[in-house]
Parts: sequence; structure tokens; C-alpha cells
Amino acid sequence: MQPSTRSPVRHVLAHRWSSVVLLAVLLVQIGIGLVLIRDLHNSHVEVQKIYDGSVHGLHMIGELEYDIQETRRATLYALTTTDGNLQVRYADQSREADRRVTEGILDNLHQAGTAEERNAGMRLQRDWANYLAIRDEVLGLILESSTREAIDLDLSSGVPEFEKVHQDLDAIKRLYDRQASQRVAAVAEFSRLSTMKISAALVFGLLFGTVAIWAVQSIRMRSAVQLANLQMEFVASVSHELRTPVTAILSAGENIRDGLVHDAKCLREQGRIIATQAGHLSDLVSQVLLHAATGKDKPWHDVRVLRVTDVVESALADVTILLQESGITIEREIQAELPLVRGDLSVLSQCLQNLLVNAVKYSGASRSISISARSEATNNRFGVQISVRDYGVGIGDGDLAHIFEPFYRSSRAVASRIRGTGLGLSIAKRSAEAFGGKLTAVSTEGAGSVFTLHLPAVE
Amino acid sequence: MKGSVQAARVLPKAVFVLILGLSPMVGAGDLPQRKVKPEQALAIVVNRSNQVDNLSTDELRKIFLGSRSHWPNGRRITIAMLDYEQAERKAALRQIYKMDEDAYRNHFLKEEYRGNVFAVPKTLTSPEVMRKFIFNAPGAIGYLRASDVDESVKVLRIDGRLPDDKDYTLQIDEPL
Repeated sequence: MQPSTRSPVRHVLAHRWSSVVLLAVLLVQIGIGLVLIRDLHNSHVEVQKIYDGSVHGLHMIGELEYDIQETRRATLYALTTTDGNLQVRYADQSREADRRVTEGILDNLHQAGTAEERNAGMRLQRDWANYLAIRDEVLGLILESSTREAIDLDLSSGVPEFEKVHQDLDAIKRLYDRQASQRVAAVAEFSRLSTMKISAALVFGLLFGTVAIWAVQSIRMRSAVQLANLQMEFVASVSHELRTPVTAILSAGENIRDGLVHDAKCLREQGRIIATQAGHLSDLVSQVLLHAATGKDKPWHDVRVLRVTDVVESALADVTILLQESGITIEREIQAELPLVRGDLSVLSQCLQNLLVNAVKYSGASRSISISARSEATNNRFGVQISVRDYGVGIGDGDLAHIFEPFYRSSRAVASRIRGTGLGLSIAKRSAEAFGGKLTAVSTEGAGSVFTLHLPAVE
Repeated sequence: MKGSVQAARVLPKAVFVLILGLSPMVGAGDLPQRKVKPEQALAIVVNRSNQVDNLSTDELRKIFLGSRSHWPNGRRITIAMLDYEQAERKAALRQIYKMDEDAYRNHFLKEEYRGNVFAVPKTLTSPEVMRKFIFNAPGAIGYLRASDVDESVKVLRIDGRLPDDKDYTLQIDEPL
């Protein structure tokens, strides 16, 4: 089987990265959208303020102008008649208008936000009071039939005071105009900044989006290529692994068919070859099927409460022949009265079997391995740990991080022509995790490795 | 006999009527004067800025006749009268002018012709207009039922008495 330094884990990670990138793009776009919405809202509020302020100010000034004129107009109307009743009616009209003006001036003063506005309002209030004093006197003279004196007083004092009131009103109007201009300028500046922000946000969004899409596509492409490579490598590896036993079986069969086997001894030898290679073939198919099965997210185990010794003994029974053929002795150190565990006996046995087979494969010159089982307690959770130790070649740090990845095979294993599918440890890890446990590895290059299966105890 | 019987029947009635008829005369000056009801009292009103507080009946008559044309502060006096047929006007003519309508009209025609008065009295349609006129004209003087008076005008004492004082003389005969 060919070495596989690229793995499906990377494919999964690549897929996750693309999701993270897409999420980041989404978040950035949402952030930009929120900033734009906030800017638009602020612009709207500012424009609304200007509109309200201008409309209210103009409306107020318009009303004041009308009522000021009405005050004087009604007073002058009183001059046009000698009928006391009509004069009283005109006086009433003038006083009603002057009441509205006085209230309007007070409103304006209350709404004054700056010292300049207050000063202008107070100047208008003072000049209006001066005019009203003269207006009262003029009205009195009119009602007392002193028309000539009334006209003289109005021309000499009323008109100048009235003119002052008009000037004050014009000053307030100019103030409103200036403030409106300032606010319009502020909004224009705000709009300019908003436009710049929007442009920058759009450019940034486009660039970021483009880069992100490119990155996602690239990641997906790489991921797809990796997946395809993995699949091809898997097929190639499996084919290669299949070819060897099949070739051996085929050769033995042909030997028998072609009559090359002449005696019973040779026939037994050919039979042994066929049986051994068929066994390899069966093991390989089992491993592939097991790997495929452990990858599915559905219950496929026959879960029972198990004794640890049963699991260990089952695994050892399956590798007895291998141990004998390899000349490797195994030391057992099983603690008495271990807690029960929950799991599928065949699966956990296969898991330990994989660890034991690996220990044999990688023992190198060492002729002994060990298996131990003891109880453990971690964070008040009780469990059992079953360790398989070898004293062989060990695993380098660079490989140790990848040994549980499917199809991963270390360069040393490949170089040493040690047979394997790269699925054993991956299957063992998945099996441990299926029953709430885990598989850990500690190794020192040149000194050997310890693989430990941790399983939770049955409460 | 028949005549004496009739006399005996009539006599007590006659004595009773005589007693009733004489009773206002007997000791009338010693009895306490009743306060005039506000709706029956004729209040003399001026502008609130007017410094004058009190007028004698004689001064009041001179003012309303136009004989006195200016207030002490030099302001020209403007007389305001209510419209014809109003009870307050009738009371003013009777108690202040001591004239009827014709005599009043003739008086002012004559005075205006002679140039003795600056302007004839203003004739106003209602007590409300009267109040407003007095309020607007600093030199104005007029009259109102005491019940029609409000804060916009000032009520003068006449011979030291206000309309709600005892012995206030200016009264309106016709009920409100």
C-alpha cells in the first residue's frame, strides 16, 4: 500500500474553513450594512431636524409678521370712524393680535438655543413692549376723539418703534436663515462623508467578497482534488493490497491446475498459501468494511455490559497465531476486580487486536510486547484503561499527530515495507469513541510506543 | 242706623289704610338705610390709570354735562353713555343730568355749537362695550350697573361712597 500523507481530516478542515470564510463575509457584510443603515438614519434625522426647524421657524415668523401688522392695522382702522362701538371693536382686534404676538415672542424666547437667539428675542420683546405702550396711547386718543393727536403720536413715535420691531423680526429671520445654512452645510458634509463611507464599504465589500469567494472556491477545489486523490489512492491501495493475495492464490491455483504439484507435501504447501492469502484477503475486506461502517452515524453495535478480561482475552485469542509466528512474547498485567464497561465485544476486541497487531508489526528487533488493564479515575469519573506497549521503532513527533487519520502511514512504515492499510488506528479510535471512550498514544522514537484504550466504567 | 253700620265697617279699614300711608313719613330719617343691590346700583367708572378716586355729586354732574373738560392730570375727559332706552342711561339722565332725553340732546347740541365741549358723549351699545371703551380710553368716564363691573375698570366714590356702601345714592329704577 502507498503512503498517504494527505487525509480526509484535511478535507473536513478545508470544508470548515470555507464555512468560516463565508460566515466572516456574511458578518462583514452585515456590519457594513448596519453602519450604512446608521448613517442613513442619522442623515434622515438631521434633515428632519432642519425641515422641522426651518418650517417651524418660518411659520412662527410668518405668524408674528401677520399679527404685528394686524395690531397696527386694527389700530389705524379705529382712526377711520367716530363710532365708539366700532372703535372699541378695532381696539379689541388690535389687542387680540398683540396678545398673539406677545405669546409668539415668548415661545421664540423659550425655544432659543443660543445666546444670539436669546438676545434677538429679548430685543424684539423690548421693542414690541415699547410699541405697545405707544399703541395704547394712540388707541386712547382715538377713543377720546383726539384724532389729530393720535395721528401725530403714531407718526412721531409709533412708526419708528414699529420699524424697530420689523428690524428685530428681520434679524431673527436672518438668524434662522444662517442656522439653516449652517445645518444644510453640516448635512452636506455629513452626506459627503456618508457617500465616502458607502463607496469605501462597497469597494471593500466587493474586494472582500471577491477574495472570499475566490478563497472558498480555491479551498473547495483543493478539497475536492484532495478528496479525489484520496479516493484514487484508496482504490489504488486497496487494489494493491488485493492484488498480492489474489496473485498468490492465483499462482497456487495455476500450479495445481497445471499439474506442477506432484506430491502431497507440495499440495499442502499450495493449500497453505491459498488459505493464508485468502485470510489476508478476508482481513483486508473486513478492515475496509469496518472502516466504512464506523464512519456512519447510526447505531450498528451490539452494546452490552462487558468484563474487561473478556475483551482482552478475545483480542489475545485472535492474535495468538500471529504472536507465535512472529516469536513475540506478551506480558499481561490485568488488575483484579476491574469495573465493568459497556460496548460491543467484537468491536472492542477488534480495537485491541489492531493495537496488538501494530505492536507486533512495529516491534522491530524487540521480541516482547505487553498488555495491561487497570482502573482509572479522572475528574470523579471512573473508568478502565487498557494499554498495549511495544519496545520497537516508535513514532516520530511529526507522524504522531497524524497516526489516527484514515489511510495515514508513516514514512518509516512505508520505507520498512511494513504491510498495512492505514486504517487500523483510525478504526480503533472510532471504536473507542463509539462507546464514550478514547484512544491515546505515547511514543518515543527508537524506544517504542504505548497505545491506551480508555473506557468509562458502568455506573 | 243703616249708615252707622256701614260707617262701623268702613272706619277700621280707613284707619288701617291711613296708618299704612303715613308709616314711611313717621321717623323715616331715623330708620337705617338699606344697602343697594349691585344690580340696582349705578357705578361711575373710569380708566384704571385715572388718579381720581372720589367725586362729589356736583363734580359728577359738571363732568357729565361737559362743563368740566379735563381731569386734574390734564387729560381730556371723554364721556361715555349707553344706548337709548337702556335702564342705566335713564338712571344717569334722571340722577346725574336731571334731564330727559330731549333736554340732554338739546344741551349738547347747544354746547357743541357754542364750542364749549370738545366732543359730544360717545354712545355705546352695551355694558360690555362700555367696559372696553373705558379700559382703552385713559380719560373716559361712564357708568355701569355695579353687577356689570369687573377688574378692567375703576369705580369712583361718589360723595365718598361706593355702590355697595350704605347711603349710595345713584340707583337704577328698572330691574335687570
